[in-house]
Amino acid sequence: MKRRIAIYSAKLAKIASKLSGKGGTALPGLVADRIDPDLLRKLTKDNFPKGIVVVTGTNGKTTVSSMLSGILNTNNISHLRNSAGSNMKRGIISTLLEDIDKNGNSSKEMAIFEVDEAYVPIVCPIIKPKIILVTNLFRDQLDRYGELDKIADSFKQTFDGLDADIVLNADDPLVSSLSQDNKTTFFGISDYIGEKIVHDHTADSVFDIKSGEKLQYIQRYYGHIGIYRSKNGQVVRPKPQVEVVKMNNLTKEFSDIDVKITTEDKKMNLRLPIPGVYNIYNALASIAVADSLSLPSKKTLQSLLNTSAAFGRAEDIRYRNLNFKLLLVKNPTGFNQVIQTFLKPKPQNNTLLIVINDKIADGRDVSWLWDVAIEDISSYSSNIVCSGTRAYDMALRLKYAGINSYKIEIDISKALDLICNNKNTKNEVYVLPTYTAMLELRTKLTNQSNLNNLSTLEKVKKS
Amino acid sequence: MRPVKILHLYPDRMSIYGDYGNIISLIKRMEWRNIKHEYHSLSIGDKFDQEYDIIFMGGGQDKGQVYVAQDLQLQSAKIHEHFNLNKPILTICGGYQLFGRYFITSDLSELPGIGIFDAVTRATNTRMIGNILIESDKFGHLVGFENHSGATQLSGTEKPLGKVIKGFGNNADSKNEGVLSKNAIGTYLHGSFLPKNPVVSDYIIEQAVRIQAPEYKLDELDDSLEKLAFDRAKKRPQ
Repeated sequence: MKRRIAIYSAKLAKIASKLSGKGGTALPGLVADRIDPDLLRKLTKDNFPKGIVVVTGTNGKTTVSSMLSGILNTNNISHLRNSAGSNMKRGIISTLLEDIDKNGNSSKEMAIFEVDEAYVPIVCPIIKPKIILVTNLFRDQLDRYGELDKIADSFKQTFDGLDADIVLNADDPLVSSLSQDNKTTFFGISDYIGEKIVHDHTADSVFDIKSGEKLQYIQRYYGHIGIYRSKNGQVVRPKPQVEVVKMNNLTKEFSDIDVKITTEDKKMNLRLPIPGVYNIYNALASIAVADSLSLPSKKTLQSLLNTSAAFGRAEDIRYRNLNFKLLLVKNPTGFNQVIQTFLKPKPQNNTLLIVINDKIADGRDVSWLWDVAIEDISSYSSNIVCSGTRAYDMALRLKYAGINSYKIEIDISKALDLICNNKNTKNEVYVLPTYTAMLELRTKLTNQSNLNNLSTLEKVKKS
Repeated sequence: MRPVKILHLYPDRMSIYGDYGNIISLIKRMEWRNIKHEYHSLSIGDKFDQEYDIIFMGGGQDKGQVYVAQDLQLQSAKIHEHFNLNKPILTICGGYQLFGRYFITSDLSELPGIGIFDAVTRATNTRMIGNILIESDKFGHLVGFENHSGATQLSGTEKPLGKVIKGFGNNADSKNEGVLSKNAIGTYLHGSFLPKNPVVSDYIIEQAVRIQAPEYKLDELDDSLEKLAFDRAKKRPQ
């Protein structure tokens, strides 16, 4: 009876939200959650017989979810998936409401939910996932999440109270400290040929969370990611069960790697069609989850061969005869990865559009720009346009990194005009937007582009 | 003239909200004026074994703060010596709190400070977050972003850095922000603080150079971009 009332109220909420005309994706969930706070449990309890996978962490959630979705498709496993803009409790409820029938049943075998870090302790105990994946933990929007150590503590407490399999990044000491012993699968990179960040200010979490002891790095890839150990040897980077044993080639288009999966005890080659070391981690994370689900590795790798860029992540859009490459930047680590992958292998005559907004979904505090290794591109002499609500902050950061070849145009449309009307704009335009700037840009670029790649684009949903 | 020596205290544990931006501001503004400078850092276990011209300490996570608090006690005498010679000091957020007398954490334990500032901080359940604008007698309007749950009370004799126009400041009630004592500044403003408030950056540099050349006056720089970023930040909602 209660369940029927819950569904009924949920449906009512859906109608209510449609009538209101606001169309926000989270609104039905928000209303329904107010009417029945137990709704999320009711909607997930008897559904998804093959389990729910939760994907969380600072960077990579959307890309990993997209990779996992591809892997499940290759294995013919029907599944529900939320969008990046719906990764808080009410967004997940909204996603479920779209899927269930009037009796509250879903026809799907599985669900993949990417969950905002702050909502992991709230959502996971209710939906009881089969697997929880943590990609990494970097400084991100501290105005919203609080401090990193506290997020890690809240994850640890959540995992302690659950029976889920945990998939963790072995190369992130804060993440690997969340280990639940034999219920844990680690993934990591044991051979590295990537470029080093010269001015890396992202020095967070180089201390063991339990003892506070400083960790020593045998190899440090970027930020606090690498192979580490504590002086007394009590903390050692765990041996990954899903491991890059050899990096063959890293280019701006793809990464060629050899992966070893312990459960199958064999080495396999993967030519991942999206670039960047961070995407190698994303691929490893999805392989590790697939392995925990006992899916055959051959099909997993086959699916990854067809990976395409997720929403706004190295996505190419043609607009007014120029190629715009969207490279979402949300925090210093992500920004540094974009610099290392796309900007430092010095492009010729390219144009850079950096759009920094300070809305809630971007993080209202722009201090993080000062932790980005902008100095690494100070010899980069192309045209740079700074835009967004905090265009001046970005320009100031460039000035203090010794870069003076920038223009400032707060309005995004005008910034695009500035670029398109400039005769010196050739080849590719690299666009580095924060989250809300990315949504805004995508709408503008796809509305007027010749739409030849529209089929691959997700529908833009403003959250 | 010998180089101006900056000491950055515990950058590995106490640089959370773009605190490097403050160091970058100091260094670049010296570089642009051809003032020679050296950057030094001190971590837990290191010895404070020479004289410096500028001391800087940023903010950290709660755990980081607990670890550095003990070590900071060992440096207290040297820092007091620096302070009493009117040499410039800038402390932000967690650094500001530890330069006060003590900090009562959320589990009610007392974290000792070094008492440069006659101020005490208590953890509260309110997170004071948002854009902040203050008016300082010495520096005029200053902008930043604050993010702290510690509430700081100044003793009657300490002067705040400024009055809060928009935001919280030292605590939710007093409408005071930060502290200015001799040439030592404590503040909750990051954003980063110095890049958008070059007047403070220059004040620190000038005081530091005057340790060697008492009559020294800084050359003017073109701060039009700094001014634009400042004006923009000033207009953002809290």
